[in-house]
Amino acid sequence: MSSSVSSSFRLLTTRIPVPLSSTKSLFSSSSFKPTLSSPFLISKSISFQRIETRNQSRSPTSISASSSTSLQPVEELPPKLQEIVKLFQSVQEPKAKYEQLLFYGKNLKPLDAQFKTKLNKVEGCVSQVWVRAYLDNDRNVSFEADSDSVLTKGLAALLVLGLSGRPVEEVLRVSPDFAVLLGLQQSLTPSRNNGLLNMLKLMQKKALELYVEAEKGVLESAQSSEGGSAHNELQSSKLESNGDASSSNSTVVGSSSVGEGSVSKKDVKASEFPGLGSRGTRIKEKLEKELDPVELDVEDVSYQHAGHAGVRGSDGETHFNLKVVSKEFEGKSLVKRHRLIYGLLQEELQSGLHALSIVAKTPAEVGAA
Amino acid sequence: MEGVALKFPPLKLFNPNFPTSPATTVTFSSSSSSSSCSASLPVSATAGKEADSALGTLSLGHLTRPDFPILHQEVNGSKLVYLDNAATSQKPHQVLKALQSYYAGYNSNVHRGIHYLSAKATDQYELARKKVADFINAEESQEIVFTRNATEAINLVAYSWGISNLKPGDEVLLTVAEHHSAIVPWQLVAQRTGAVLRFVDLDENEVPEVEKLRESISRKTKLVVVHHVSNVLASFLPIKHIARWVHDVGGKILVDACQSVPHIVVDVQELDADFLVASSHKMCGPTGIGFLYAKSDILSAMPPFLGGGEMISDVFLDHSTYADPPSRFEAGTPAIGEAIGLGAAIDYLQGIGMQKIHDYETELANYLYESLSTIPNVRIYGPRPSEKVKRAALCSFNVEDVHPTDLATLLDQQHGVAIRSGHHCAQPLHRYLGVNASARASLHFYNTKDDVDDFINALSETVSFLNSFK
Repeated sequence: MSSSVSSSFRLLTTRIPVPLSSTKSLFSSSSFKPTLSSPFLISKSISFQRIETRNQSRSPTSISASSSTSLQPVEELPPKLQEIVKLFQSVQEPKAKYEQLLFYGKNLKPLDAQFKTKLNKVEGCVSQVWVRAYLDNDRNVSFEADSDSVLTKGLAALLVLGLSGRPVEEVLRVSPDFAVLLGLQQSLTPSRNNGLLNMLKLMQKKALELYVEAEKGVLESAQSSEGGSAHNELQSSKLESNGDASSSNSTVVGSSSVGEGSVSKKDVKASEFPGLGSRGTRIKEKLEKELDPVELDVEDVSYQHAGHAGVRGSDGETHFNLKVVSKEFEGKSLVKRHRLIYGLLQEELQSGLHALSIVAKTPAEVGAA
Repeated sequence: MEGVALKFPPLKLFNPNFPTSPATTVTFSSSSSSSSCSASLPVSATAGKEADSALGTLSLGHLTRPDFPILHQEVNGSKLVYLDNAATSQKPHQVLKALQSYYAGYNSNVHRGIHYLSAKATDQYELARKKVADFINAEESQEIVFTRNATEAINLVAYSWGISNLKPGDEVLLTVAEHHSAIVPWQLVAQRTGAVLRFVDLDENEVPEVEKLRESISRKTKLVVVHHVSNVLASFLPIKHIARWVHDVGGKILVDACQSVPHIVVDVQELDADFLVASSHKMCGPTGIGFLYAKSDILSAMPPFLGGGEMISDVFLDHSTYADPPSRFEAGTPAIGEAIGLGAAIDYLQGIGMQKIHDYETELANYLYESLSTIPNVRIYGPRPSEKVKRAALCSFNVEDVHPTDLATLLDQQHGVAIRSGHHCAQPLHRYLGVNASARASLHFYNTKDDVDDFINALSETVSFLNSFK
């Protein structure tokens, strides 16, 4: 709407004195009563013009994007996102924009329940939104998302379609400014708009994590955590040079790599085991190390308990199913086996792990050789 | 647009919202009876249409609407239909004028100064306190402590009375339908004192189970914290009975009257409440001010909450002595203008009469509930209204397979209807009901049945629009 108004203002500047009728229509659109005489109007229109140019130059500079000082040119966006932006720009009427948004949301592939974890949840949304990221064979990042609100699902769909199948660097370079280009920003309440911003941020964070993890996998995986953290810093600095958009994300990696060695290893390994977050990974590693199991299954079923009283305040990863087959259990009663496992996972239990469902057997019991 | 307005000399030409009705100020005295109000109701000079018809055929909503400048605007291209009164109410121009008069005429610090302005400010501030006391029929004005809002008032009770009176094992009884402000301060204090919080569930009518509440009151119960009217369920609790039960065991009752004081007659002596809290901004007063009512003997025994100027008697380097209540609990410079604004709001409400407001809103409540029930697949929370069961004029609801946020967004964007979506500061209640969020439409005496009709039409269209994408 602002673009159409500004174009008519531009018309005005070339035609002073202003014919009363054209300013009248402008005034009525902003519900002013044109009771003043025409000379007044002419001078007022000049002042309109000044204000309007301020507005025009204001929009690129005043966007409170975390990084960019000027609106990211559409051409820099991933191609599919460019298409989507252009489509929305071509639709003027707000209602039609909503229809378009809802249409996108409707066609978004639903997210499997197992991925609706706390780690995948977007913070700051009035509705529930989950986002999942994975790398395909060409090391491009792809996304899946879901929401219980159809408008938010529409926004998520825009991001999923616009960013999927692209190289990680490109995804990280996307500035949230493009939301303005959609023309939806003024139509959507700030809290929802923050949802779009936070969705994008989470997607970028996940893309970066996947990238770092993949890079780590290419080199010989560092035995020591220091090696890992040095590597991470290398990666983050390499990506940092790719533009401002990643700077906010590099701090995420930075914090995980600069912390205690074991912390960085945990965070980086987040995606090594599909479906397991950092706690799940720690549990698996601990049990592997201490019990030398023949068989070990660690399953995160926290999502089944989301909303349950004991889960409140914890960071997801609260409920696990464990199946352990180990020689360590020989000669121990069932109670003793469970106590052994609980003992090994004391730290986790004290830091938010809520419950374990354990199957603990010896190799003989499962008939394994 | 603001930049342009500055250029236009005669500002009032472009502000049709302010009705010029000097006659209104004459009608307000703090103790006008409700029977006289129909004759002296403010009818704005600019509202020609209303003035023509006989007063009797016009609803309270139509009659009072002109007093509220903010209601006469468009949002997103549609006329504003404001249905979020449980979150905050709108202010009549009488209140706006009182604020303006204060700051323009006699703004000065209270209780401290000697000079004329400060004496006048002090008088008006204390007069406002008296108006609050009279409004809820407290025995004396000293039983009213001005706070920032009801939340601060509850924190005051928690940190002052709670910390010094609760011992390990003592019980504080609440319901699952309480507002966060009534729950969290007690959680914090329970952690510090070792007291235990107990919560009463809802019964099959989606009202807190009163019998269960009664049974849960024991010698261990030191405090019962309950809402008078629920901001989600629209239900009423029998405060008078609950107070009696808890007094029988030597306990006290704290009444969260945020949704009742603005809408019905509240008489703290009749209820026999020990503590009662409310916020000004929900009762047509300004934000930034609220109050705690507490029986004087309880208040006198409470230690200070916030420390500083005003609440002291003598200050030495190593210790201080404290003032009597209410000053003891009013540290620092208070929200003087806002308190006076609250006084003006009370004058306005008394000018109409709380019983009249209550009766009208009961009618609105039933109309809203019935109209909302016609929406297919709608689920309204709280009890069904009947002869015996009254509802407040609000409905929290969900439409099957539609997220309340989608509803609220489109209602606002496409129809200018303002409702609320979320958990309404009642997460435990929503968890209990098994939902993440709900939508809520809440009315006040300046709403009309037309507002309800607009809302229902808009809702119906919005639901169809969203369903067309399924």
